[in-house]
Amino acid sequence: MPDQTSQTEIITESQTLWHTDRSPSGCNHCQRVFLLPPSHDGTNCPLCRRGTLEAQPVRTRPADPERLLPFNISKQDLSTAYEQFTSGVWIKPEDFSAEHLLRRSVPVFWPLWLVDCNIRGNWEMEAGFDYQIESSKDYYEGGEWRSRKQIEDRIRWEPRVGVLETRVDNTTAPALEENDNRMKMTGKYQLNQAIPFNPDYLGGAYLELPDLNPEEAWPLARPRVDQTAARMCANAAGAQHHRNFTIQARYDNLNWTEFFLPMYATYYTDDEGAPQIVITNGMTGTVQGPRLASRKRGMRIAGILAAVAGAIFLLALFGLLIALILPPAGLIAGLLGLLGVFIGICAIIPAVWPGQWNRKQEGPRITNPEGERR
Amino acid sequence: MQNNLHPSWTPPQDFIQVESQVTGVVVYAPRPESAEQDQARSYACPNCGANIAYDVAAGGVACEYCGYSAPVQAKQVGKSAENFEFTLEAIAQSSQGWGVQRQILHCDSCGGDISIPDGTLTATCPFCASHQVNVVASVEETLRPRFLVPFKITPQQTRSLAGEWLGKGWYHPKELSANTVLQRLTGVYLPFWTFNTRVRARWRAQVGYERTSRQYNARTKRWETRTKIVWRWEDGHVRLNIEDHLVSGSANRHISHQILNRLLPFHLNALVAYEPDYLAGWQAQAYETTLTEAWEIGKRAIREQAKKACHRDIPTSHVRNFSMSADFTDEAWRYILMPVYLAAYQFEDQIYQVMLNGQTGVVAGQKPVAWLKVWLVIAALLAPGVFLGLIGLPLLMVGGIGVISIGLSIILFVVGVIISFMLYNQARQSEAK
Repeated sequence: MPDQTSQTEIITESQTLWHTDRSPSGCNHCQRVFLLPPSHDGTNCPLCRRGTLEAQPVRTRPADPERLLPFNISKQDLSTAYEQFTSGVWIKPEDFSAEHLLRRSVPVFWPLWLVDCNIRGNWEMEAGFDYQIESSKDYYEGGEWRSRKQIEDRIRWEPRVGVLETRVDNTTAPALEENDNRMKMTGKYQLNQAIPFNPDYLGGAYLELPDLNPEEAWPLARPRVDQTAARMCANAAGAQHHRNFTIQARYDNLNWTEFFLPMYATYYTDDEGAPQIVITNGMTGTVQGPRLASRKRGMRIAGILAAVAGAIFLLALFGLLIALILPPAGLIAGLLGLLGVFIGICAIIPAVWPGQWNRKQEGPRITNPEGERR
Repeated sequence: MQNNLHPSWTPPQDFIQVESQVTGVVVYAPRPESAEQDQARSYACPNCGANIAYDVAAGGVACEYCGYSAPVQAKQVGKSAENFEFTLEAIAQSSQGWGVQRQILHCDSCGGDISIPDGTLTATCPFCASHQVNVVASVEETLRPRFLVPFKITPQQTRSLAGEWLGKGWYHPKELSANTVLQRLTGVYLPFWTFNTRVRARWRAQVGYERTSRQYNARTKRWETRTKIVWRWEDGHVRLNIEDHLVSGSANRHISHQILNRLLPFHLNALVAYEPDYLAGWQAQAYETTLTEAWEIGKRAIREQAKKACHRDIPTSHVRNFSMSADFTDEAWRYILMPVYLAAYQFEDQIYQVMLNGQTGVVAGQKPVAWLKVWLVIAALLAPGVFLGLIGLPLLMVGGIGVISIGLSIILFVVGVIISFMLYNQARQSEAK
């Protein structure tokens, strides 16, 4: 384990951080910690909607974060995105509407680590060099040959070894335990559009604090540092591609800083009243979250259809009785009976469909730190 | 850049440091195999300092004065010799030709500078008579000969082989003496390109099938058998795997391709990795026909093979509106040197070329023709037909015997014409360049 030069301290609930007027508050349900805009204490946690945020001390780095990606998506864009998100679900819970999602959406910045380090060691790889070859396709028609040249792109792989002593800056590393899941929910960000951290860009957004400290994040960061080193070595060799990169190196002078990414968090409640968290990438507008159908409403519709089917069936039986006196009524009774059976069968669909639909909603969801899926 | 970044680490053997495009990163790459071989080399005997050359019988460089001999340490690679792809770089570099017009070769033996012409791979120093071998003038490493077939036929054997060849054929002048040629047979390594490719050919044509039927002819009042051709559009595909298709790298104006083709085949199983020792004391030429020109020549022959294969794929001989496409894939080439003895001799103010395959001993070339002999033989071949015809004409007055005589004379005349034509062609080819 390389030496960690980053220093963490305990910041009390009354202290403000990073030249902002914000102090730490934590969720009493999911244990996530945020820096809230003033007077937001006591509000619901935007990422679990089960607990409230209360002022608490936190162990974190007092040094300012390094970079953030500003929000790119406006409320109007959100409205369209939520309309699209909620459409296509046949029997929705009553609470699952674009209007509700929009009204409850909260801007949140969530953290990544940026790690800088010195790397010194020896490496080997297969370096891939682009080249083009000429091929041809010839045609014979009317006693004459014609030739058409074709250019193909290929990669030539060659072994390369070497030594490396350099500094790798701004390698991103997870700062949250649920980083991978969060990244799946938000989709990719264009990290090259990041700007230096400035409290003015925070606005009313919640600032989520890391729950992985640098020591815990290093094993996750190191493969990324190695990837950067691999790219450097490939560039040094003049190669356009690389594979099977291995490195034996020492990493030192590590410097950790935070990098914040924008997202919107909102929710709707399902049949049982449980909040279902919906996340929107604050840069691209990608919306992700469970799109659940309502079983209760499905059963209600099924019940109504079954009642209608029963009534028609009774009417058909009555028609059969009349048919004993007036035989042509038997035909109508038969048709009514068939209609009743048809509607009765149709009643099964709304009863069964929500369950089937919900089972398919297996995409990534917001989890609490213990991994419980909501 | 020295490897002082990580002093305890050493690169694997046969890796050399190469240029790095990033500060702080040192890069090592495998050493190019050919770098050492391609250095210009001088040949002088380590014992007596005399001139040494490759000796076919000894299979190595040898000194004819003190008896020094050293075998050539070359790996026989045969048909597994490395092939190269048609990269755009190789094509562009090949089309630039073999470097500058004349190059200066420094003689290690006497220190003199020798000017050698474009395309010449070997030279003899005019100051100390030592043999020089040089292939470094090529612009691209891969466009230097990487493989060659060594000479197997000794200069002494060439005399008997060429003499035997010259003695063949009755229609050559008696005055043609074997000695005139034998004195001048010179061993030369000639450049060749070999090509490998896979061809997927798709054809489409109207294919005719014969349908035979019996029909009654009301006019002749007979049953007749009629054959009708039913045409149908059909298509198909064939695959060809072409290996080691050989194309000469010499320009036709210098070396007759017609004669060169008659020397084929060379057995590529005997290919060895290029070693300059093989060229010591022998002449060697670099390519004049560029890679793309040679490939065009090769491709023309290969696609005709593909066309024939498509025709073989068609079940009948009745074909019309034939069209096809030939898709070439995995094209690869080699640039190799082949052993050939060359001679040019003068006979009655005409220059004739003779070549001898330095691997197999096959001889081919131009031989002057005694046309008087040829015309006499042709006259003799036609005479029986003419003579019998002349006898047959008056006999026609007599009756049937005249008809038989005329018929026989026509047959004899036709046979005579055919044999005469073949003989004439053979004689023409013997003289052809």
